[in-house]
Amino acid sequence: MRRGAICVLLSRAAAAMHLAQLTLTNFRNYTRLDLALPKGPTLLFGANAQGKTTLLEAIYYLATTKSPHARADRQLLNWYANGSEDPVAVGRLTAQVRLAGETGQRHLEIRLIRDQTGRAGSEFRRQVLVNGVKVRLVDLLGNLNVVLFLPQDVGLVSAPPAERRRYLDITLCQVDTRYCRTLSQYNKVLAQRNALLRSLQEGRARPAELSPWDEKLAELGASLVLRRAALIADLEQRAGRIHFDDLTGGTESLRLAYRPRLWPNADQAPSSLPPAATADTVGWLLEQPENQLAASLRRALDGSRQVETQRGATLIGPHRDDLRLLVNGRDLADYGSRGQQRTALLALKLAEVAWMEGQTGERPVLLLDEVLAELDQTRRAYLLSSVVAAEQAILTASDPTMFTGEFLAQATRMEVKGGQIRPRNGPVQRGTRDEEEV
Amino acid sequence: MPFHAAPQPVTRLIEELSRLPGIGPKTASRLTYHLLRAADEQALGLADALRQLRERTQFCRVCFNITEGQPCAVCSDPGREQALICVVESPLDVLAVEKTRAYSGQYHVLHGAISPIEGVGPDDLKIDRLLDRVRSGGVQEVILATNPTLEGEATAMYLQKQLAGFPVLVSRLARGLPVGGDLEYADEVTLARALEGRSQM
Ligand SMILES: [Zn+2]
Repeated sequence: MRRGAICVLLSRAAAAMHLAQLTLTNFRNYTRLDLALPKGPTLLFGANAQGKTTLLEAIYYLATTKSPHARADRQLLNWYANGSEDPVAVGRLTAQVRLAGETGQRHLEIRLIRDQTGRAGSEFRRQVLVNGVKVRLVDLLGNLNVVLFLPQDVGLVSAPPAERRRYLDITLCQVDTRYCRTLSQYNKVLAQRNALLRSLQEGRARPAELSPWDEKLAELGASLVLRRAALIADLEQRAGRIHFDDLTGGTESLRLAYRPRLWPNADQAPSSLPPAATADTVGWLLEQPENQLAASLRRALDGSRQVETQRGATLIGPHRDDLRLLVNGRDLADYGSRGQQRTALLALKLAEVAWMEGQTGERPVLLLDEVLAELDQTRRAYLLSSVVAAEQAILTASDPTMFTGEFLAQATRMEVKGGQIRPRNGPVQRGTRDEEEV
Repeated sequence: MPFHAAPQPVTRLIEELSRLPGIGPKTASRLTYHLLRAADEQALGLADALRQLRERTQFCRVCFNITEGQPCAVCSDPGREQALICVVESPLDVLAVEKTRAYSGQYHVLHGAISPIEGVGPDDLKIDRLLDRVRSGGVQEVILATNPTLEGEATAMYLQKQLAGFPVLVSRLARGLPVGGDLEYADEVTLARALEGRSQM
């Protein structure tokens, strides 16, 4: 019955898309890798630190242009390949995305380039190509849709708000390039405005100079807030259902509470806004016309100008938003057990899969890094049923024995060892000595 | 390992060239060694051109475009419309607009755009002088043709506020220019259309 629920979730007419070929050159511990990937589930197994996670990271990077760990991009380059004296100057990731029913395929490429500047310094830059044509970074987005499951995802619940904003931004950017452009513009306006506030603080500028930046910030900010609200509304509905019906046996109800920073403090929130405890901010927001929201953000900026000048920083706007996860009305970060947090995150991630499919009409590729070990039998089985239902899923595990025989029979198995990958569709090795059929 | 650097005049030119926009150290070396091998008249001609560029040009005292004489050719041309001022960021933008042959008014070169991060505020641009020109009368329309970048937009918005008190029409180039692009790179047809379709702010 559980599997039935997931099948219904994913069975609407969605185009089949899968990552058919992945090549890496000087990407982390891979000097050179050329890997064909089938449809359906693929299990990458092997001891730790052999490069399993790096493969998922590479695929995620090709899909989102971001590393899942917010590390500096220059660290992605395998600086001293082959024990060579000279540092490597170019790294390369490519993906061949195959689409059913459509002629041709998408060829995606990211080049990581280190330019020598002067005698000592170097500069890092990226080049992106789609079907052999150089494009801007944002134009890569949407060509390969993925949802990544990491064991540390659970930390999102109690992480600083910036992490949850990053989650919202990366999720939206993958399917909505307009959001991505708006976000990048917003961040530039924010940086300019903050620089101006510091100049004002030091008496090197006049308050009248703020007005163009206030106007832009409000206009772009309102657009970001409304898109985030729409995403959260959708995710909440889907995640709530999965969480209540499938993951907690009808005992716990999950809510996503969006806390936009559109007013200086709670006292100044619009009187029509429902109280924070009901978590209905999203519903209220989605009824506001974008230009009115921008106007109210603009007024809020006017109102907090003095404080902002003193602090030399912009204190209002979506760069200060938060998203809280509530279970049965209580904030998971403060009151939830680790198990509850894990269950909520699993529901959220599965909701993301369905949301993405709804937005793009393409089933995303699922990437799961060692996540099964963290889950109990029931949730593990539920997650595996959605993995099997996906067009393509790539899983890593140091211990393949935690998978059911039924699942292993359907999965393509590959062993990852020292940056090399070998197909291993024989019997699963239990421990180090025994070989037995599962 | 003994290490021999190139002679000082060579390294100096490489360093000077690499400070130019769009020229990296590799290109700078290539250009330097090209000039080393080139005929005297080519290499010294370049040096002379650089010297003349600095010695024989100045800003027009009216519109701040680059000129040899005062005022510049546009400002002293009686055949051009006096009531129209097109405000641009750089002298290159004047060339771009002139190439369209769709405009016969005056110009005002700001020499930059507002960018607090780079420490560029309204006082660092020729904004006061623009307001002086408008104040002294005879101007009916100011076309804000700053680049469609964030900084260009902010500059246009700031100018619009500053000009609000004057009895002049303020217009902005029509969209259709690639967003984030520079005016000087827009093709002539696009730019001419943007001029025709300018909208009141
Ligand atoms: Zn002039």
